[in-house]
Amino acid sequence: MKLTLEQIQQLYIFTRQHYVEHFDVQTELVDHLANDIEQIWKTQPNLSFEDARNISFKKFGVFGFMDIVGERQKALSKKYWKIIWSFAKDWFQLPKIILTIFIFTLFTIACRSKFGEYFLFSSLMIMCVYGLIKAFQLKNNFKKRIKSTGKKWMLEEMIFSAGMGFFTMIPINLINIFNLSNLDENMIYSNWFTLLYAAIFTLLVIGFYVVIEVLPKKAEELLTKNYPEYKLV
Amino acid sequence: MLKNIPNKVIHKKIMHIFILLIKLQPIVYNAIIMGNQKLYKGSLQTIILKLLEENDKMYGYEITQKVKELTKGELSITEGALYPALHKLEAERLLDVEVTTVDNRLRKYYKLTEHGTKETVNRLAELEEFIATMKTIVNPKLA
Repeated sequence: MKLTLEQIQQLYIFTRQHYVEHFDVQTELVDHLANDIEQIWKTQPNLSFEDARNISFKKFGVFGFMDIVGERQKALSKKYWKIIWSFAKDWFQLPKIILTIFIFTLFTIACRSKFGEYFLFSSLMIMCVYGLIKAFQLKNNFKKRIKSTGKKWMLEEMIFSAGMGFFTMIPINLINIFNLSNLDENMIYSNWFTLLYAAIFTLLVIGFYVVIEVLPKKAEELLTKNYPEYKLV
Repeated sequence: MLKNIPNKVIHKKIMHIFILLIKLQPIVYNAIIMGNQKLYKGSLQTIILKLLEENDKMYGYEITQKVKELTKGELSITEGALYPALHKLEAERLLDVEVTTVDNRLRKYYKLTEHGTKETVNRLAELEEFIATMKTIVNPKLA
């Protein structure tokens, strides 16, 4: 006995009720439950759909689907960082490396000038404000996407929010570090320190650009590449 | 014979044996009491890779059933362990996915990537080495 389309839809609702929000994870679990229910029906054909589903769900243990969702999130965030790196590494190859060297030099010169402190602080502030505005815009875009498709994909959520959180937190934390650290002035204005600042800022600018500008624009392409089912539904 | 060996060395040896026994205790306990399930845990990824090497492409439920069938029910992969392992292997780019519509629903198939095929050979060699090492510890006469 095979499950009907209606029963499959009920399984999607069931996974949602058990805290599985993302369509990609739901789909895999729905197929697993459906296969198991059909297997159960082979030995107990008189069992109702709900009873067979409950027997199958119990096999997932006391935490239900939560472990699977958590582990999926971990695995996908690794993938997300690999995607960021795949775009960021372009900035260390020709022709973009010229721009990277330019940004690095600009930061180095700025750090060594007598306005270095103000320059660093204001660039961090600009990044924070710009990051927050962009985060707000991307969140709205994400909501619109969910409304129009009715489906939420885990990678999509990461593209439109997760990385943003991380990259907006870095500048805020850097400001705190600058404020709280009581470093010796000679040390702060030493050559090594200015080079370190410039390197951190350059990496931050590149990371910021990839996460805020590149990934959301490439969202469709990335989702199609990572989810073969994306175009099927 | 022991007279020639300094006390410090003897104490060290005894400590080593003692530590080894403590380390082996959960393994022995699991093997006897827990029905071997925990012993397989560390090899789950290798088991999945091996199955995919032999079967081209498989879906999650199929893997659990195949393992049950091959081990005559001795080993059953739990759902909570299988999918995290599959997702990890996918994130490491050892597995590729393919989705098709089957019986009113979408089915996600896993298959080995080129990198995954190479890694399977390495992991199987590692597992065999591990089994050989375990044999020397558990049954030194046979080694």
